[in-house]
Amino acid sequence: MNILEINNLVKDFGGLRAVDTLSLSIKEGEILGMIGPNGAGKSTAFNCIAGVYSPTKGDIFFAGKKINGVKPWNLCKGGLARTFQIVKPFRSKSVLYNVMVASFATTDKTAAAEEKALEVLKTLSFEHKKDERAGNLTIAELKRLEVARALATEPKLLLFDEVMAGLRPAEVDEMVQIIKNLRDRGITIFVIEHIMRAIMALSDRIVVIHFGKKIAEGTPQEVASNENVIKAYLGDEYVVS
Amino acid sequence: MEFFLESILNGICMGSIYGLTALGLTVIFGVLKVINFAHGSLIMVSMYVAYWAIIYTGVHPYVALIIVVPVMYFFGYYLQDIVIKPIFKAEKDVREPITVIIVTTGVWYILDNLTLLIFGPQYRGIQNNPLRGKMLDIGNMLISVPKLWGFVTAVITAAAVYWFLQKTRTGRAIRATSLDREAASLMGINQFKIYNIAFGIGTAIVGISAVTLVPFYNIFPSVGVLFDIKGFIIVVLGGLGSIGGAIIGGIIIGLIESIAPMFMTATWAEAIVYGLFLVVLFVKPSGLFGVKYDW
Amino acid sequence: MTRKTINTSALILLGVVAFGIPLVLRSPTYLHIICLLFFYAYLTTSWNLVGGFAGVLPLGHSAFVGIGAYTSTVLSLQYGVSPWLGMIVGGFLAGIVGILIGLPTFKMRGAYFALATIAFGEGIRVMFENIETLGPLNIRGPRGLEIPPTHTGFVNFMFNTKEPYYYIILVMLIGVIAFTYFISRSKLGYFLNAGGEEPEAAMSLGVNVARAKLIAMAMSSFLTALAGTFYAQFTLYIYPKSVMSLDLSFEIAFIALIGGRGSIAGPILGALLLRPVSDFSRIYFGSSLPGLHLIIFGTVLILVMIFQPRGLQEPLLKVYNKLLDRILQQAPQGKAGHEYS
Repeated sequence: MNILEINNLVKDFGGLRAVDTLSLSIKEGEILGMIGPNGAGKSTAFNCIAGVYSPTKGDIFFAGKKINGVKPWNLCKGGLARTFQIVKPFRSKSVLYNVMVASFATTDKTAAAEEKALEVLKTLSFEHKKDERAGNLTIAELKRLEVARALATEPKLLLFDEVMAGLRPAEVDEMVQIIKNLRDRGITIFVIEHIMRAIMALSDRIVVIHFGKKIAEGTPQEVASNENVIKAYLGDEYVVS
Repeated sequence: MEFFLESILNGICMGSIYGLTALGLTVIFGVLKVINFAHGSLIMVSMYVAYWAIIYTGVHPYVALIIVVPVMYFFGYYLQDIVIKPIFKAEKDVREPITVIIVTTGVWYILDNLTLLIFGPQYRGIQNNPLRGKMLDIGNMLISVPKLWGFVTAVITAAAVYWFLQKTRTGRAIRATSLDREAASLMGINQFKIYNIAFGIGTAIVGISAVTLVPFYNIFPSVGVLFDIKGFIIVVLGGLGSIGGAIIGGIIIGLIESIAPMFMTATWAEAIVYGLFLVVLFVKPSGLFGVKYDW
Repeated sequence: MTRKTINTSALILLGVVAFGIPLVLRSPTYLHIICLLFFYAYLTTSWNLVGGFAGVLPLGHSAFVGIGAYTSTVLSLQYGVSPWLGMIVGGFLAGIVGILIGLPTFKMRGAYFALATIAFGEGIRVMFENIETLGPLNIRGPRGLEIPPTHTGFVNFMFNTKEPYYYIILVMLIGVIAFTYFISRSKLGYFLNAGGEEPEAAMSLGVNVARAKLIAMAMSSFLTALAGTFYAQFTLYIYPKSVMSLDLSFEIAFIALIGGRGSIAGPILGALLLRPVSDFSRIYFGSSLPGLHLIIFGTVLILVMIFQPRGLQEPLLKVYNKLLDRILQQAPQGKAGHEYS
C-alpha cells in the first residue's frame, strides 16, 4: 500500500513555478530519496507535503486521505513528521524539553511524555545530553535532536530535509545507520539529501527532480547511470564508480 | 462651510507636523526593524534644545535648525551606538528583537524624568517669536501661520529624505541594510555603522519636527508622550518604513482631530483614532500605503 | 539532606514567614505597601502566562485590571452583588475580551503585537473616560467610582483593617503561582514555550501555536481581572487613569521582564526587588527629586536587558544553587535542565 501519493503537484510563487506537475508515491516501509540540484524545488515539495504551503494544483494523499492544506499540527497528529533543513531547536530549553514538546503529540500527561522522550533519546543514544541546553549543542547534535523530536511524535512517515548536511563523514555514517534502524522499526522514510554517498547507501528508490519536474526514478544504480540525471545534475563532478 | 474648510486646512497642517515626527520613527524602523519607544522623549529633548537655542540667541525659531539638527543627529547616533547596539550584538539571530522595545522604553523613562529633575515640571513657551499666534486670513478663513510653516517643512523634509535614500551612496547602503542586513554586511557595509547613521538621521528628523512645534507648542518634560502613541499609530497607518505613508498617516490623524470635534466631544475623537488604528492593524497590517514588505 | 528537601523546606519557611508578617508588623502604612507589592507580584505572574511563556509582549494588560475593577464595583454599587461574585463575572468578561483581542493579534509579529495591545488598552481607557452610563450601568466617565465604606465584612469584601486584605492578596498570589507552576509543567506550558521560541518547528511537532496562545491569553486576562476587583475593594476608589493607565500596563510588563520572563520566580522577584525601590524613592524623594524612581527603573531596565536579557532570576538562581552546593558539599545533581522552565 502506498502511504504517500502525490498526483501532479504544482506550486507557484508569483510567476515562479517551483514544483511542476510532480507525481510520486512511497510504499509503506520504504526509504525514498529525492535529489536534485540547488533550487530544484525539493524543499518546496517537502513543505507542500508537510502542510507549510498549500499546493497550487494537484493532490497529496497520506494514508489514503487527501491532505491538501491540512495544517502541520494536524498532519503531525496523523503520523506525518518532518525535520528542518535549517535546524530549529528551542534554544533556551534542554534537550529533554525539546523532545518532550514532540512527545506531547501522543499523550496529555507530562510523566508519560517524559518517559516517551527518554525512550526516544535512548534509541538515538542521545540520553547523556538530555539536560544540555539546546543552544549549546554542536551541529551534529542539533541534527540528531531534529530527528529525536520528529521521532517522538510517533510518525508513520518521516520527512528528512537534508538531515546530514554539515556533518563529518563519520557522523554521516552514524546518521545513515540511525535512519536504517528507524525503517526497521516500520517507519516509512522520505529523504532529501545532497550527500550522494549517503543517499545511495540509504535509499531503496530515488527520485530526481530538476526545475520542479521529475526527470528520473529508480533504484540508486538505475538513477546513477541514467543519462538525463548525469546531464542535468551529476554532471562532470560525479563519476559513477 | 468656510469654517469646515478652515478646519480641514488646519488639520492638514497640524497633521503634516505629526507626520514629520513619525517620519523619524519610520526611518529608524525601516532600517533597524525595531520600534523606538523613546521616540516621544527624543521629540521632547529636541524641543528643549530648540527652546534654549532660541531663547539664548534670540534668532528666528527656524534658524535654530542649524543647532538642533546636528545636536540631535549625534544624540541619536550615540544613543544607538552605546545603548542599543549591545542588544543587536547579543541577539544576532533574532529577526525582530523585542528586547530593543524594552530598552528604548528604559531610555524614555530616563530622559523624561531626568528632564523633570533638571528643568522642573513647568510649561515653557517662546512667547515673543515672530510666528506665535500669527494667523493668515484667506477669505474669512484663518490658517495658523506656524502650522503652515510646519506643513512646508514636512513636505520638504520628506522629499529630502526620499532623495537622500535613493540617490546618495550612504542612502543606498542604508536601503541595502534594510533589505537584508547579512547580505549587506557581506558586501562590505558595516551594519552597525549604518544602524548608527539611520538612528542619527531619524533623530535629526525628530529634531526638525520639534523646531516646527516650538513656535506654538508648550514645552514640558512629558510633552513627548502626546506624540509617542500618535507616532506609533501614524507609522502603522501609513505603513511601517514608508516615507510618504508617514506624512499621509499624520495628515489623516490631523484631520480626524480637527474635524471630529465638530460632531462629538474632542475626547471621542481620540477614541476614533484608536479604533481606526486597530481596524487597520487587523485588516491591513502593512498599512494603508505600505508595500507588503517581508521586513 | 538532598537539594529537593532543602528547596521544599525553604519554600515552606517562606510561606510561614509570609503568613506571619501581619502578626509582627502592625503598621498599616507598611502593610499597605506590602499588599500593593503582592498585588504587583500577582499581576506580573498573571502577565507572565502570556508575556513570558508565549513569547509575545502584551502592553495593554491594565485594560483587564480595569475590566475586573469596574465589573465588580458597578455590580456591587448598583445591584448589591457581592464583589466576590463580581470578581468572577469580571474575570470571565476579561477572558472573553482577551480572546477577542488575541484572535486577530496573535498572527502578528513582535512589534505589531505590542502596538496593537497598547492601542487596545488605551482605546478602552479613552472609552471609559468618555462614557457616563453604559446602558443601565453607571460608570461616571473620568470621575470614576467611589465605594462608600459602610458595610464592612467578608461578604462585602470590605474591611476596617489592612490584615484581611493582606491575607486575601497573599492567598491570591500563592494561588496564581501554583497555577503558573502547574501550567508550566503541563502540555500547554510546553506548547507555549515551544511556540514562542520557534513557531514553525512547534507547529510541525503537533502544536497549534495560535490556539495555545489564545488559551494562555484567556487565562491571563481572567486572572488579571481578579486583581482589579481586589484593587477596587482595597482602595475603594477607581477611575480610568488609576486602573487602566498605560503606565500600569508598562510597569506590569517591565517588572516581569527585569525579573525574568518565562520563569516562575522571575516576575515575583522583579516585583519584590523593584516595587520597594519605587515606593521608597517616592516616599522619601517624591517632593525633592520627582521621577527619581523612574530614572532608577529605566536604568535597571536597560542594564538588565543588555547584560542579563533573561532577567535577574538567572544569576540569582545560580548563586542560590552554588550556595546549596557548598552546603551539600557535592557536585550538582538533579534535574538541572528543568530549572530553566
